Amino acid sequence: MKALILAAGKGSNLLPFTATRPKTMINVAGKFVLERTIELLKESGINVINIVVGHKKEKIINFFKNSNHSNLNLHYIEQKRSSGIGDAVFQARDRFDPGEYFILIYGDILTAANIFSHTLQSFGSTKSPVASICLTSSSGMFGNVYLDEEMKITRMIEKPKKPDLCNYVLSGVYILPASFFDLLKKSNKNMEKAFGKLIEKGDLAASIWEEDWIDIAYPWDILKANKVIMDSWRKATIAESVHLKGDVKINGPVFIDEDVEIRSGTILEGPCYIGKGSFIGNNVLVRKYSSISADSVVGYGVELKNSILFEKANVGRLSFIGDSVLGYNIYFGSGTMTINHIDNRKSVKAKINGKKVDSHCEKLGTFAGDNVTIGTSNSLLAGTIIPSGKVIPHNHSYPK
Amino acid sequence: MCGISGIIGLQNISNPLVASIRNLEYRGYDSCGVAVLNGRGKITVKKNIGSVDEVNEGEKLTKSKGFVGIAHTRWATHGRVTKANTHPHLSCHKEFACVHNGIISNYRALKNLLAKKGHKFLSETDTEVIAHLLEDFYNTTGNVEKTFLKTLNKLEGTFAIAMITTFDSDRLYCAKKESPLILGIGDDANYIGSDSNAFIDFTKNSIVLDDFEYAIVSKDSYVVKNFNQGNTIEKEITCIHWDAEMSQKGGYPHYMLKEIYEQPQAIINALNIDQKHIKKTASRILKSEKNYLLGVGTTYYVALLGEYIFSSMAQSFVPAISSDEFKHLGEISKKTHVMALSQSGETYDTLNALKYSINKGACSTAIVNVIGSSMSRLVDQTIQQGSGPEICVLSTKAAFAQMIILNRIALEMGLSKKVISSSKKRIIEKGLKELPKYVSRVLNEKSGFVHTMARRYCHIKNWLYLGRGLYYPIALESALKMKEVAYIHAEGMPVGFLKHGTIAMIDPDHYALVFVPPKEDRELYELTMGGVEEIKARNGFVLAFHFEPKDSKSGLFNEDIVLPKVEKHVAPLLQLILAQLLSYFTATTLKRNVDRPRSLAKSVTVA
Repeated sequence: MKALILAAGKGSNLLPFTATRPKTMINVAGKFVLERTIELLKESGINVINIVVGHKKEKIINFFKNSNHSNLNLHYIEQKRSSGIGDAVFQARDRFDPGEYFILIYGDILTAANIFSHTLQSFGSTKSPVASICLTSSSGMFGNVYLDEEMKITRMIEKPKKPDLCNYVLSGVYILPASFFDLLKKSNKNMEKAFGKLIEKGDLAASIWEEDWIDIAYPWDILKANKVIMDSWRKATIAESVHLKGDVKINGPVFIDEDVEIRSGTILEGPCYIGKGSFIGNNVLVRKYSSISADSVVGYGVELKNSILFEKANVGRLSFIGDSVLGYNIYFGSGTMTINHIDNRKSVKAKINGKKVDSHCEKLGTFAGDNVTIGTSNSLLAGTIIPSGKVIPHNHSYPK
Repeated sequence: MCGISGIIGLQNISNPLVASIRNLEYRGYDSCGVAVLNGRGKITVKKNIGSVDEVNEGEKLTKSKGFVGIAHTRWATHGRVTKANTHPHLSCHKEFACVHNGIISNYRALKNLLAKKGHKFLSETDTEVIAHLLEDFYNTTGNVEKTFLKTLNKLEGTFAIAMITTFDSDRLYCAKKESPLILGIGDDANYIGSDSNAFIDFTKNSIVLDDFEYAIVSKDSYVVKNFNQGNTIEKEITCIHWDAEMSQKGGYPHYMLKEIYEQPQAIINALNIDQKHIKKTASRILKSEKNYLLGVGTTYYVALLGEYIFSSMAQSFVPAISSDEFKHLGEISKKTHVMALSQSGETYDTLNALKYSINKGACSTAIVNVIGSSMSRLVDQTIQQGSGPEICVLSTKAAFAQMIILNRIALEMGLSKKVISSSKKRIIEKGLKELPKYVSRVLNEKSGFVHTMARRYCHIKNWLYLGRGLYYPIALESALKMKEVAYIHAEGMPVGFLKHGTIAMIDPDHYALVFVPPKEDRELYELTMGGVEEIKARNGFVLAFHFEPKDSKSGLFNEDIVLPKVEKHVAPLLQLILAQLLSYFTATTLKRNVDRPRSLAKSVTVA
C-alpha cells in the first residue's frame, strides 16, 4: 500500500514557528514530526510515500535529501495555492491506480505507538474504507463521529458547536480506495462531503485508537506532543561520544546524542533529550520533558523545565526556561526568566492571530520564533508569543 | 459456545494444536483438552479445567507427539465443568476420540441404548455418546467412513464434530449441522476449526462447510460430501485477510467496549421476547405466596433493581437476595417462587440456591443468556434473554437486558394488580422502546466527556457511588464495574445512608459520583441534591450524572455529565451506560486487562 501525507498547510495557529517552516517540520523530542510519521510508516511496511507539500516545501525536500532516509521512495506533489485539504488530497489523484487502496495521513498528528499499523489491521479485517478515530477532550476542533454496533460510522459532525456533544473524533488517518478521488470531485473537493458520501453507503468503518494522540494545532500542543513521545521511552540512550566532565547526575530515560558535552554539577531528570553536538554548562538543571535540539548551548546555572529548544539555541547563564518552545538559532541573554503562570492560577491565555485563545494549561511560558534575540535580565510574561527575528533589548519585561 | 479444532500434517502438530484453541478461547474457556494420535497408533488425551494456558501448564498439552490431533475449548452447556466432562471424549477401547460443539438432543436415548450394550460412560456430556456410537458402528461395518456416516445420521440436534481414530491414522473426520465448521488448507498441513481463528496463524485459505456436510481431511488433500445424500461437493477456497484477534472483536479494541455498543441491540432483543413468557412469569409471581429474586455479583444488583421496580410499578415486595447467602435467609415452601438471574446459567452459587429451593418444593424461573445452560434445565421456566455471546468477563449488555426484562415483568404485574393504568403502562413501554435510541445517543455523544473524566480522575483511589431509590442499585452496579475492571475502590451506597456514618470519610481525596434523578422526580431529586450539599459542605468532590443542563444547583457539582431527558423509569439505565464507560476508560487509561481482569472468570462455576 502507498501512503499520502498532507504537509502543505500553513499552520497559522502555530505561528511564530510556522513562519519559517511547515508545521510537520517542528522538532519534537529530537525528531521532526514528519520524520517520525515516515519512520512509523516504514515500520508498518509502507515504503512508497507521497507527500503533498506547499508552504515552505524546501524545508521538507532538503531535509530528506540530506538525511539517511534515502532508501525511501518519496514523491512530492506540490499544492500551488493553499485551497483546503480536499484540494490537497485531490492533487495526488494520479499517484494511485484504479482499485488501489491508500493510507491518507494528516501530517500534523502525532502518536508514540504505531497508529498506522493499527489502522491497517482494521482495514485487513473489514476490507472496506477505514477511518481511525480516537477520543480527545477538545472534540470541538475535529470531526465527531457516530458509530453503530458493527463499528461503521453512521454520521459525522464536523467541529460541533453543540457543547453537549463529545465523542470519538477523526484522528487524521484513513485507508481509502482510489475511487475516493471521484467522490471528492463530485463533492467539489470538500472532504467532509466526500466522507459523507462514503458514510451514506455504509462504507466507512472505524478503527478505534486508544493510545495517546496529539493534533498539533497550537504552540502548546508541541509541548504535549513532546511529553507523549518521551513518556513512551523505557530506557536511557547515551551515545559513546558523549563527554561528561566531572560530576553529572542522570535519572530516568534520558536520550543524549553524539558529541554532547556536559559540565560538572549538572543534573538531568529523564525523560529528556539532548541533541547532537550540544554543550551544557556547569550546574544546569534539565528537568523532565525538556528537549534540547542539536548544536545548542546552555549556560551556567540554567534551569530548563518541560521546554523545547530548536537547533542552535543559545541560553545564557542563570536563566529559567519553563513550559516554553524556543525556535531555531535563538539567543536568550543571561538571566532571562520565562514566567510560566498567572497570579490567579487560572489557565493561561495566549494571543493567536490576534485572538485570545485559552491554552487550558495552568503553566505556560514563552513561544519564541526563529532567530529571536533577547537581552540580559528580561522577564517574559506567561503565554508570550515572540515573532521570528525579534530583538528585545536588555533589562525589559516583554510584552509591556 | 465452544470451540473445536483439528490438524493433520507432516510435522508434530501439538504446538499449533494448542495455539489453535488458544485463538478460540474467546468462544468459551472453562476447560479444554487435546487428543493426539501418536506414532505407535495410540490416542493420547490430555485435558482439564481452566484456560488453555493453565491446562497446558498442568497437563503439558504441547508435549504430545503426533501428526494428527483434535482439540476443544469448552464453555459448559451439558454437564458441569469437570475434568471428566472436558472434551475430547474417547470410546471404550480408546480407538475413537471426538470433540463437539453444539447439543445432541437425543443423547439420553442413545446413551441408554449404548449403556445396555455394555458401553461405559465416564462423563455427563452429550458428546461422549458420539465416541461410543462410532465404536459401536465400527464393530459392524469395519469401515471408518461408513461408521462416521452412520453415526452422523443417528445424531439429532446441532453439532460440529471432529474425530480421529486409530483405524485410520492418516485422516481427520469432521461434520457440521448448524454449529459452525471451517477447513483451513495449508501447505504442509490441513486444519479444521469452529472458525478461521483456529488456523489463521498458519493458513489464510479456508473452506466454509455448510449444514449436512462432512469432510475427510488428510495432510495434503480433502474431500467434502453431504451426509444425507452421500454426494461429493465441490467447495470454493476463500482467502481470509484479517488478523485473528481483530476479527473476534469486530474491530473493537476490547470485548467490553464492543458489548457496551451492542446494548441497543440487546435491549431490542429483550423487548422482543414473547409477551407470553413475561405474562406467565408475572402471574406466577402474583400467584405465589413468597417470591425471591436471586443473583450474585452483577446479577444481584440487577435483582436489587428488580426489587425496586416491582415495588414501584406493582407494589409487590420481592426481596433480592445474593444467591450465596440465600440459604441463610430464604423461607421456602411449596408456594414459594424463586427467580434467578444468570448470564451463563452455570453460576455455582445461584445453581445451588435454586437446587436448595427446588428440593424444598419451590417453583422456579430463570433469566439466562446462554442457551442450554444447566440452570435452564433445572428450573420450571426459562426466559432466554438472547443478548448474544458476552465474552468480556464483566457483564454489561447481558445485565442491561435483564433489567429490561424485569421492567417488562413489573409492568405486567402492575397492570394486573391495577397499580398502574394501561395508559401509564403504555407511557413506560414507550420509554423502554425508545431506550435503544437514547443509549446509542449517549454512547455517540457523551463518550468523549466520560473519557476526559476518566483521564482526569483515574488516579483517585476511593470513590463513593451514591443513588437513591432506583438509582441505588444502579450506583451499586456501577461501583462494581469500577472495582472489577479498574481495580479502584468504589463503594455504592444510598444517598440517605451517607450521613449515618460514612460521611466522616469525606475529604478532598475521597471523591463521590452521584446519580441524580431528573427534576420531574421531584422528591427523589431534592433528597439526592441534599446529599450533594452535605458532601460539598465537607469540601468533598462531586461528579454528577444528571439531566438538567441549566440548573441553579448544578453549580454544586465539581464535574458533571448531562444526559438527554427520558421517561423517568428508564433514566437510571442511561446513567448506567455512563458508568460502564467511566469504568472502561479508567481501565484503559490505567492499562488494565479489560476483558479478563485479574482473579475473575466469566462464569463462576465454583463455590
